Amino acid sequence: MLPAAGEPAAGDSWGMLACLCAVLWHLPAVPALNRTGDPGPGPSIQKTYDLTRYLEHQLRSLAGTYLNYLGPPFNEPDFNPPRLGAETLPRATVNLEVWRSLNDRLRLTQNYEAYSHLLCYLRGLNRQAATAELRRSLAHFCTSLQGLLGSIAGVMAALGYPLPQPLPGTEPTWTPGPAHSDFLQKMDDFWLLKELQTWLWRSAKDFNRLKKKMQPPAAAVTLHLEAHGF
Amino acid sequence: MALFAVFQTTFLLALLPLRTYKSEVLSEPLPLTPESLKVSVNSTRQRLHLQWTVHSLAYHQELKMVFQIQISRFKTSNVIWVENYRTTVKRNRVLHWSWESKLPLECAAHFIRMRSMVDDARIPKPGFWSNWSSWEEADAQNSLGHDPLFVFPKDKLVEEGSNVTICYVSRIHQDNISCYLEGVQIYGERLDRSVSAFELKNVSFIRKKGTNVFCKVDQGGALGGIVLFVSKVLEEPKDFSCETQDLKTLTCTWDPGSDTGLSKQPSQSYTLFESFSGKKTLCKHRNWCNWQVAQDSQETYNFTLVAENYLRKRSVSILFNLTQRVHPMTPYNLFPKNVRATNATMTWKVHSIGNNSTLLCRLELLAEGKVIQQHNVSIKVNGEYLLSELEPDTEYVARVRCAYTNHFWKWSELISQKFNTAEAAPSEAPDVWRNMKMVSGHPTVSLFWKPLSKVHANGKILFYNVIVENLDKPSRLEVLSIPAPARSTELTLDQCSYQIHVTAHNNVGPSPASVIVISGDPGNEEVESGRVNGTEDGFSVSWKPQSGDATGYVVEWCDGPQDLPCVLQWKNLGPNTTSTVISSGAFRPGVRYNFRIYEISAKRMAHLLEKKAGYLEELAPSDNPQVVMSNLTSHSFTLSWKDYSTESQPGFIQGYHVYLKPKAGEQCPPAFEKTVLPEDSVCCKHTIDNPEQKTFVVENLQPESIYEFFVTPYTSVGEGPLDAFTKITTPDEYSHILIRIILPMIFCVLIVMIICYLKRQWLKEKCYPDIPDPYKSSVLSLIKSKMLLKL
Repeated sequence: MLPAAGEPAAGDSWGMLACLCAVLWHLPAVPALNRTGDPGPGPSIQKTYDLTRYLEHQLRSLAGTYLNYLGPPFNEPDFNPPRLGAETLPRATVNLEVWRSLNDRLRLTQNYEAYSHLLCYLRGLNRQAATAELRRSLAHFCTSLQGLLGSIAGVMAALGYPLPQPLPGTEPTWTPGPAHSDFLQKMDDFWLLKELQTWLWRSAKDFNRLKKKMQPPAAAVTLHLEAHGF
Repeated sequence: MALFAVFQTTFLLALLPLRTYKSEVLSEPLPLTPESLKVSVNSTRQRLHLQWTVHSLAYHQELKMVFQIQISRFKTSNVIWVENYRTTVKRNRVLHWSWESKLPLECAAHFIRMRSMVDDARIPKPGFWSNWSSWEEADAQNSLGHDPLFVFPKDKLVEEGSNVTICYVSRIHQDNISCYLEGVQIYGERLDRSVSAFELKNVSFIRKKGTNVFCKVDQGGALGGIVLFVSKVLEEPKDFSCETQDLKTLTCTWDPGSDTGLSKQPSQSYTLFESFSGKKTLCKHRNWCNWQVAQDSQETYNFTLVAENYLRKRSVSILFNLTQRVHPMTPYNLFPKNVRATNATMTWKVHSIGNNSTLLCRLELLAEGKVIQQHNVSIKVNGEYLLSELEPDTEYVARVRCAYTNHFWKWSELISQKFNTAEAAPSEAPDVWRNMKMVSGHPTVSLFWKPLSKVHANGKILFYNVIVENLDKPSRLEVLSIPAPARSTELTLDQCSYQIHVTAHNNVGPSPASVIVISGDPGNEEVESGRVNGTEDGFSVSWKPQSGDATGYVVEWCDGPQDLPCVLQWKNLGPNTTSTVISSGAFRPGVRYNFRIYEISAKRMAHLLEKKAGYLEELAPSDNPQVVMSNLTSHSFTLSWKDYSTESQPGFIQGYHVYLKPKAGEQCPPAFEKTVLPEDSVCCKHTIDNPEQKTFVVENLQPESIYEFFVTPYTSVGEGPLDAFTKITTPDEYSHILIRIILPMIFCVLIVMIICYLKRQWLKEKCYPDIPDPYKSSVLSLIKSKMLLKL
């Protein structure tokens, strides 16, 4: 069924999104708390890293399909519109020194918060999609992204970091501009997908860094002995 | 009194001009200026809405007036529209007028003013225009934000094929702004220093998410765009029709055409109106709708189907009687009952329609996909029909559909049922034939039979019974049961006569019997041999009947070439036939087929009548004979190929060609004629036209010469393959004398010489003995010895 048309009741839909996101925030905490007897954070970091690579690959085809659905110029490779309404999207790009200096907790928290936001917006996108095939692809991607959130929550729990709780007022809301047109909506969708792509690329680097940090010291000793043992 | 009259006259006189003045007011009315002009803007519809009143009308006065309305754009001096609007005006009644702008209202400031004139038939002309009202501004631009570039109209919904004007308003220098429609640059017209417009003619539907038009500043960040929602044109519903299955619910169906749904506009909705009852219903589906038939038995219905979307409405109507639109439900429970070999009873049920209605049902019987029987049956609820003239052991399909008897509208859907008739005993005797041969001195009969066709078998043939009855010793009866699918059997007999019965059996019983009689006597093999010609259809074999009481004839042959084991084939023919065409898919060109024609007597005995041989298509011989050369003299030699078999060639050998290549420059010998070989070499050729002649003497040759020969057979098609010639050299003329006479002489002389040498002593003594030397005689020696002794 197509959504009821008329002037987009933007305030209503974004309010619903905020509500959903609040629910979503708490959801991954449940599986995380159920974990018992962790063998260490290493395997789950590796799993999270693998998941980001998988999602990156999945997003490539999803974004291609969705941008074709929006029509040119959104599907042109060099299209780079200004970020107007999409200011509230979490930005992945950050200064290199700043990124390097992030501690593990902050690194993981930023990832977790970013994906929670992005998942919310993505679900909103799904509801607006006109074709059943697109809704299926988006729903599938959302499920995978939910899995990634759960995975990150697992890593945080294994390392003993608390999950970030949403502070009142910082929940992802978006108040639409005075004349939020369909074209601006399309531009927001474009930026959402672009930011998602950048985040997944960045997460791969984050988790790779974490993975290297978490490698057990015994492995280093073994190597050392082997080097001398021959 | 006079004073009173004076006052009255003065009063009347004073009143007169007043009256005149009053009537002058009506005949030359003052201009009625439009007042309280209010302009409102509907950006979405790009309409300016105007409302005003005319205050200065007298109470209860209704006048026809004309208002001239001017619209300007950007500035008041730029008038873009003038229209005369005629209407009836009443005092203080608010008048309305609206105008649709092609250019989105946000792109320019618009100004409106108007003036009026009385245009009533009651007032004599000429009227004159009032003053212009002051310019009223319609400003749709005050809601714009602070961005440098805006494109309009936002999120407009239009129909495919319409023309749309796009415009942008920029706060920066316009020269470096470019606009794109679906990624392709478009060019427009500059209307103002900050406004440009683009005319899109005949827009087409691209996708449900709309067509993107955007403008951007070259090498800058500013970008603005709109999504133009182009909807497919709503089509009139096609093939609108309503029918009922049970006189209780009407189902209406139609072809909705293309879906005009977009992300901005839902798919078109369909509503069904019925004019006699005044009822309507909103259809939940896009191509069908149900309608409950009212209990008050309304006979006639007038339905109007309305298709509607945001842009357009279309409708279509039909008028009909309910009882003329009955489409019965599919019959059910179609079963065969009492299925026999040649008949079966079909039963089925139908859903009732109304009270006590009859349905006309059509029962069809199909065999192998083709309808072979059709029957019409009138029923109320239960149907039954006996189908007859069926074939045993055959698969049939019965199908039924029904229609409303009172008024035929449509047949119901079909219901089908497969069934098989029962088996029956085979209806024909198997076609049997025999082959006699002697195995270790005993006559052995090979019996062959052809499987019965499905039409005659009437079921699955399980086994064949062969009953062998010794006619000379009647008590001896041998019964053999051979399971199917065997097609032959062998019987070892003795010199007696036997009668053999063959029957085919299925589950029900036996077929009629085939009887053949075999006598102990092998029969005469010396019969007339002939030739038959092969054609496209096969061999046309004919014979001369021998006895007048033949009950039939059999033509027998082997399907394959003679060098392979014989696959016996035969054809059974009636008593009065003297010819037939034998055709088989196994016949090949270049293979000799031998046909044996038998006459079947009244006693069912077969005896050989004639033999025929033929080729479907004769070919040239495939190989040449091995030629042996003998008796070579200086003038002749003999060629022979006695081992060459003329029977196993791919055609009837008609003779042989002997080719001879003489010494260079020499003429052909007398029996030969000159000919040219395929490779352009000259040669001599002699033709032998008797296939049984397998020797040939080549004579009149020159001694001491090299000759080359080659022998090849020929058929009606051509001769054998061209092989290499064999070379021979004729010996010298006298050399035979040399060899015959002189050599033996020398040999004898040698023998004599050897004998003489061996017996030379003897010869010497005999022919020329030595003169004895007395001094060497033995007497002398004797004397000498005697003398010595004496001494």
